[in-house]
Amino acid sequence: MVYVLVAAGILACAILAIRSKRLLVSAIWLAVTSALVALMFYLLGAVQVAVIELSVGAGLVTVLFVFAINIAGEEGMELEPVMPKPLAWGLVVIAISLTIYLTIMGGGLKLILSPSADTPAILWSDRYLDILLQIGLIFAGVLGVLGFLSEGKPETQKKDQA
Amino acid sequence: MNNLPVPLIVIFSILSLAGVGFYCLLATRNMIKVIIGLQLLVKGVAMAFILGGNLTGQVNLAQTLALTVIVADTIVAVIGLALAVQVRHRLGTLDIKALSTLKR
Amino acid sequence: MSLILIILVIGLPWLGAGAVLLAGDSHEKLQHALAVVFALAAGAAAVLMLPSVSKSTVISLSAGTVFGNFTFVADGLSVFLSIIATVIGALAVIFSINYMHGEAQLGRYYAFVLFFIGAMAGLVLTSNMLLMFFFWEITALCSYALISFHNDDPKAVHGGIKALIITSVGGVGLLLGAILLYLTSGSLDYNQFLANPHTVPAGILGVLAFGFLIAAAAKSAQFPFQTWLPDAMEAPSPISALIHAATMVNAGVYLLARFYPAFKDVPYWREAVMAVGVLSALLAAIMALVSTDLKRVLAYSTVSQLGYMVYAIGAGSVFASQFHLFSHSIFKALLFLSAGAVIHSVGTRDMTKMGGVGKKLPFVKWVFIIGSLALVGIPILNGFWSKEMILEAGLKGGSIIYYAVMVFTAGLTALYTIRMVWMVFYGEPRSDYHAHPVGLAMKIALAPLALAACISWLAVGRFSLLLGPNSLPFHGIAPFGISEMFHDVVSLPTLIPLAVIALGILAWVFRSKLSGLAKAFDWLRWLAEHSFGFEGINSGIVAATEASAEGLSYSQTGVISWNLLYVVGTIIIFFAIFAIGA
Repeated sequence: MVYVLVAAGILACAILAIRSKRLLVSAIWLAVTSALVALMFYLLGAVQVAVIELSVGAGLVTVLFVFAINIAGEEGMELEPVMPKPLAWGLVVIAISLTIYLTIMGGGLKLILSPSADTPAILWSDRYLDILLQIGLIFAGVLGVLGFLSEGKPETQKKDQA
Repeated sequence: MNNLPVPLIVIFSILSLAGVGFYCLLATRNMIKVIIGLQLLVKGVAMAFILGGNLTGQVNLAQTLALTVIVADTIVAVIGLALAVQVRHRLGTLDIKALSTLKR
Repeated sequence: MSLILIILVIGLPWLGAGAVLLAGDSHEKLQHALAVVFALAAGAAAVLMLPSVSKSTVISLSAGTVFGNFTFVADGLSVFLSIIATVIGALAVIFSINYMHGEAQLGRYYAFVLFFIGAMAGLVLTSNMLLMFFFWEITALCSYALISFHNDDPKAVHGGIKALIITSVGGVGLLLGAILLYLTSGSLDYNQFLANPHTVPAGILGVLAFGFLIAAAAKSAQFPFQTWLPDAMEAPSPISALIHAATMVNAGVYLLARFYPAFKDVPYWREAVMAVGVLSALLAAIMALVSTDLKRVLAYSTVSQLGYMVYAIGAGSVFASQFHLFSHSIFKALLFLSAGAVIHSVGTRDMTKMGGVGKKLPFVKWVFIIGSLALVGIPILNGFWSKEMILEAGLKGGSIIYYAVMVFTAGLTALYTIRMVWMVFYGEPRSDYHAHPVGLAMKIALAPLALAACISWLAVGRFSLLLGPNSLPFHGIAPFGISEMFHDVVSLPTLIPLAVIALGILAWVFRSKLSGLAKAFDWLRWLAEHSFGFEGINSGIVAATEASAEGLSYSQTGVISWNLLYVVGTIIIFFAIFAIGA
């Protein structure tokens, strides 16, 4: 029962997130979606990732969005999409139905609700390559943002002097 | 309602997230909306990992994979938003069509 | 020990490329210094690999089940070619200090040169076919970037694109061969393939053999792909010396030499290889005779000498072909670098405007003459020994008609070479030119090459041991000392080519008396100037590629929505295939 409510909530909040006219409202609906997804993770037994998803998705990313939207400014959202909307809808519906068809053909699915014995810490020794990649990604992200922020400054300085 | 198997419900929510995410990416012209769509898509993917882990009993391995995906996607969001802000400064608009100057 | 050295030989030039780019174009002297240091270090590392040559795999990095292991083997053929690539690369970089003095965007130049040197060393050191293809394409990319270095000159850009397209068409042959090898024998390691070539069914073996022949012909500018090399002469002269004389064009010959034990029994393969070699040698020699651009003559001469090497492989003597490759790299690099010194100082490439340069640039004149004598095959110099060995092998292993044509081509070689030397260095100046003196770095680069052209043949004993059964177990090259070489070469069949060469030289000396004969061949001259129609084929390939690229560019939108359309569309197509297939 809880599952059905959470799933319905996720669908509703996602649709609201993309249909809002104002970007700030979209960001808020995205945060709510993150919270519901984190709840779903917890219900499925992945406790640690639920916590991380809640803090990162509903916290960090939302704060970033609010910052960016404030700096970039809202703008007229009435622009027509590049491709006709029915085409987009049609493609998505076809893809989803094919996926459902394939999943149902795949056989029965049973749910195990108890976590396994190992803790994630032990598994990190197997997946250390992932840790290295994540560290590399974070490094690249920091460098990228620093690069972008510094590019903005000389332009504005030149404009001030001109 | 209680007779519906839980995996099907979870698959429904995965597909709905993925579907809404893809639709948003296909049908929007605002750069920040693109990043919102990407976030939704990746949440669906992470949920798929967790469901898979649950079904095979290896929840913790699935947690590490989902964590990697979430970290990568957060960094993409960070850089994407920084890019969007820069584009707004340079071009004055957040329209993705204004970004493309490919000769066709 | 070999492990570290192999990593150094490939990695040092690449590190140097990064270092030169980081140094920035505002510090020109630092860029020159860094490039020279890294190139010399790579050369030293390559030479240090000599004592530890063996046939066993040195590095083996596992890359999953699909791509097999990334293996590197330091056997004789690899080490020899990597020494040539790095040492001549270092000399070309030293030469560039003077030649590229004051040029803009020097960082881009040195970065690509160093990147190329590392990739060439990697190409010969690896034994995984996929890695070989990867390095092959990197050398093609660097060649394009360096030919079009002066990218505001439309001729240079056109020459670069032409070279890129034609060598890439050849690369397709290599990739096809690699994939077929993997599909039929389950591994990408060519040493396993060479050990028993019969694990591959005979039809596929034939496709492999001829595919590799096409790849080698495209890369080494052999018949019918020989017109990209003369157009690539828009590159700066050190590049022509390094890439288009001493290293990249040798990659095709290396491919044939490496796979010779596996393909030698494929029906008609050896005949095809010999035919390609003979035709290239002959046609290029005729085209060299009528050309007036100094570098084009040298380019045609390169094609012709590569034809000799290919002919030797077809005739069955891999040793003779590799020995000639060794000599040719030395004297051809010498010729290109000294031609570069002449062009840099005089300011034009047109031989009809030169003449009497020898009086102004005596050092360059002498080293050029040494290189020319080696090219012609005058006794004592290294070209003589290797060319005679090729002709001996051809006499034993091929038909007499091919032998006769190759001997005639040797005479033509003498004729166009002495014509080139005469028109540039002797006689009276035919136009007003100012000859700048040649810089010290150029002289430092030219001197060792000239010395090597005189004495490199003395190393034939060590060379044969390098390629012997210890390191190349499948090629069957027996040890071969100097005395055996003397015995083979200083014998009766050698007198015929020597006589033809003498005839060639005499023909030039008495050219005014023979002008009537020359007039009778005017139709040939016209054909040669239009490169016998092969230019048409190659231009056709280039034009077709460019037209299809223009057409396909319409699908490259910059908008994420359309790009995602392709993604979602592909998902739908794949899922549909799975759904129906299930």
